[in-house]
Amino acid sequence: MIDREEVIRIAALARLDLSEEEIEKYQRDLTDFLTACAQLKKVDVSQLRATSHAVTIKPRLRQDRVGPSLKQTDVLSGGADVQDGFFRVPRIVEGQG
Amino acid sequence: MKKLAYLLQSKQVSSIELVEKYLAQIEASEKKLNALITVDKKGALQAAREADQRWKKGENRSPWDGIPIVLKDNISTRGMRTTCASKILADYVPLYDASVVTLLRKQGLPILGKANLDEFAMGSSTEYSSFGVTVNPFDGNRVAGGSSGGSAAAVAAGETPWALGTDTGGSIRQPAAFCGVVGLKPTYGRVSRYGVVALAPSLDQVGPLAKTVEDAAILFSILAGTDPKDATSANAQEFNVPNWDDALIKGLKIGIPKEFFGEGLHPEVEEAVRRALQILEEEGALLVPLSLSTNVYAIDTYLTIVTAEASSSLARYDGVRYGQRKEGADSNTMFAKTRGEGFGAEVKRRIMLGTYVLGAGHYEDFYEQAQKVRTLIKDDLQSAWEKADLIITPTTPTTAFKIGEKRNPLEMYLSDLYTAIANLGGIPALSLPCGKDSRSLPIGLQIMANHFQEELMFQAAYFLEKKLLGRA
Repeated sequence: MIDREEVIRIAALARLDLSEEEIEKYQRDLTDFLTACAQLKKVDVSQLRATSHAVTIKPRLRQDRVGPSLKQTDVLSGGADVQDGFFRVPRIVEGQG
Repeated sequence: MKKLAYLLQSKQVSSIELVEKYLAQIEASEKKLNALITVDKKGALQAAREADQRWKKGENRSPWDGIPIVLKDNISTRGMRTTCASKILADYVPLYDASVVTLLRKQGLPILGKANLDEFAMGSSTEYSSFGVTVNPFDGNRVAGGSSGGSAAAVAAGETPWALGTDTGGSIRQPAAFCGVVGLKPTYGRVSRYGVVALAPSLDQVGPLAKTVEDAAILFSILAGTDPKDATSANAQEFNVPNWDDALIKGLKIGIPKEFFGEGLHPEVEEAVRRALQILEEEGALLVPLSLSTNVYAIDTYLTIVTAEASSSLARYDGVRYGQRKEGADSNTMFAKTRGEGFGAEVKRRIMLGTYVLGAGHYEDFYEQAQKVRTLIKDDLQSAWEKADLIITPTTPTTAFKIGEKRNPLEMYLSDLYTAIANLGGIPALSLPCGKDSRSLPIGLQIMANHFQEELMFQAAYFLEKKLLGRA
């Protein structure tokens, strides 16, 4: 069983605010999932390389040309808090202020 | 679709009349089905008026100019909200069109609206949508499947002649099977993903859903091709609708993997699929028994990769540039509150799992291990193509299940048992209706092919469809 602290740690990494109920629920779900996936660990993969893409596609580069782009005002239009052409967020750095 | 195109071309029907007809059907069936999240009546009628003008002047953009369509609501549409069936994007209006939408507009297709899905395409029943479940048009107590359940139900109920869906582990094919329509997941890279909201970028593909094989092929021919905006799109892989040729069936080697006909497969589904195989054999196809033994790992491999990629894909929803925000004293609190309240239970579960399998100390054991098993699965598929031209299996182990029936997430994940392998291998796969069970629920048959072999797959599907309809 995954312990409670581990669930809280993962939630913090994932930036998810969870209720007490959710912490308990995901403790169970994570445990179930890891139990179910345990068979994967038994597969001998020592001779295998990892596949990150199933179809081999050669990287294709574009010409470095300036094309049409979105207007700043349009791009900012979806933000919850916008000021002077910037997205505004709460304080990030601790300190005087 | 050829008939609709003929009616438009010969001026026997106008695009306005077509769009009004589908809007009326939407009005009539939506209360029951809940297949659509957004209906854009005004936009669709305006696009239809413009199409009619073009036809009048002989300047039509394509034979399909003015034939409307529905899009899954994780495909970005400029000026039309794109919710991904999530609270966090409930009011999100994209500033640009997905490349597939640009292609549809270039052909003159009016967009009727946006279809329901499991939140961020995570699910197999649309029960995880924040906008309510989509009901199966064949049985009001059952699911339409998922995650493209809205697209499949809308096509089946005649709300639209065709639709776009997305498929990461079976999300086009499983709902197509449950709703009795044709659904294609193309080869990875054959259709652009630009502007399609990412779930798992190494597995996601956009594809068509339609009533007939030919209609699905026509829609696929509009979608396929290189997109400079998508670095994973394949070079020179356009698709033209072929001349249908029954003679191709003779001598065709059809692989029958025994692992897809074993425990858990409902006997009525098996019977319908075997009947279809017999039809192919009678026409001279060779049925080749084979083994895809690695399919036993497909679901766990798929889940590990999909949750890992999803946890990364969904990091962008932070309440800053778009979507909803819940205030907090500092940025991390704001992010966590925004995401904690904005995401539904299944999305949070997958983000948690994905963060775990990518975490320090787990990465090698889980994520990297799954990527290596993915190589094993890919190799298994590749060796199958040495014995067979196509592989045929059931699309799903059962027909549509009841709403609320699968409460355990692990049980829900098993809906993708026969479909996830195609995404892991990047191969094309199509679901074709092949009969009904004793409850009159549709049964789907899956045809898989090697990379970029959609044409052969469509040929076999077209032949089977003709024979099955002839026999019904």
